[in-house]
Amino acid sequence: MRMRLLMAAILLPLPGAVQAAEGERVQIRGEIIDTWCYYSGVMGGPDAVTGTAHHTCALWCSAGGIPVGLLGEDGQVYMVLRIEGDDGSAGGDMQLRLASHEITADGLLYHRDGLNYLVVEKVVTDHGITKLNHEDYGPVPPFAIPEPKE
Amino acid sequence: MRHFLMTLVSAGMALPAMAQDFSEGSEAKPWNLYAEQPARFEARVVDILCELTGDCPADCGGGVRQLGLLRGVDDVLVYPNKNAQAAFTGAVVELLPFCGRQVEVDGLLIEDPDLGAVNIYLVQKVRAVGDAEWTAANRWTKEWAKTNPEADGKGPWFRRDPRVNAEIAAHGYTGIGVEEEKPFLKELFE
Repeated sequence: MRMRLLMAAILLPLPGAVQAAEGERVQIRGEIIDTWCYYSGVMGGPDAVTGTAHHTCALWCSAGGIPVGLLGEDGQVYMVLRIEGDDGSAGGDMQLRLASHEITADGLLYHRDGLNYLVVEKVVTDHGITKLNHEDYGPVPPFAIPEPKE
Repeated sequence: MRHFLMTLVSAGMALPAMAQDFSEGSEAKPWNLYAEQPARFEARVVDILCELTGDCPADCGGGVRQLGLLRGVDDVLVYPNKNAQAAFTGAVVELLPFCGRQVEVDGLLIEDPDLGAVNIYLVQKVRAVGDAEWTAANRWTKEWAKTNPEADGKGPWFRRDPRVNAEIAAHGYTGIGVEEEKPFLKELFE
């Protein structure tokens, strides 16, 4: 009994220690989204905060340092931490350039406390912006596109 | 043996707690979001990429990487997606000065399992554990202005940001192309 308790105690994580783990090799196809608008519902339902309707806002959020995610074909969000050696996950150039793009990503998947995290090692294919929903929703938010000056 | 286990527990090695209510003592302002809950808790500011993969620069990435809050009471990694400004701005600028330190934060937790939103956080204020003074998590736009002096002018930062404007100039507001979206814009403002 003592030995079991001792082993159980030893197996508990050390406070403050980095719990690095091996990632799972995956290939995921999906859209690069801004996660705050998607998760919070601040701009409406999930369909309205993706695609061309939301592209300008996706640029703002990405440049503003809001985390980007890959919204997979399976409906899961994968929080992107690195893209091809660029670890600029807080406003970096690579993620900004890919805002709203559908990509096929090859990389390593990690799970932690209910969220999926993805380290993209290679963008296998950049399919471009494929979700054309601006005619359905208009710009989201409505002020994303300023009225032209006369 | 009992003494040994008690020592471990007191050192913070307790088993993860079940889902908890972190609203006690919170002074977070509501944003009237569907799944928000006020939440005030103590945590350590960590570099998420480091935490997961072991790739750990000394300064948490110096502001380019996303930061997390490793909650003290249950060792859960909370992901601060947002700072306190209603301006399309994240939380890294607010948390970076506290890299590796124990902090207390107050803000809003977003828990919407239908969307997969778990342990998502909007930080409104932060202070080092033991400090009396809070720092409001609203510094992002001032820091942006310092690093983008050429974009000085009227209007919100996101209308003046050089990188955003370059993307829009190249690919349009919808991303489908400047010429391609012209009929849509014409109809939008008719």
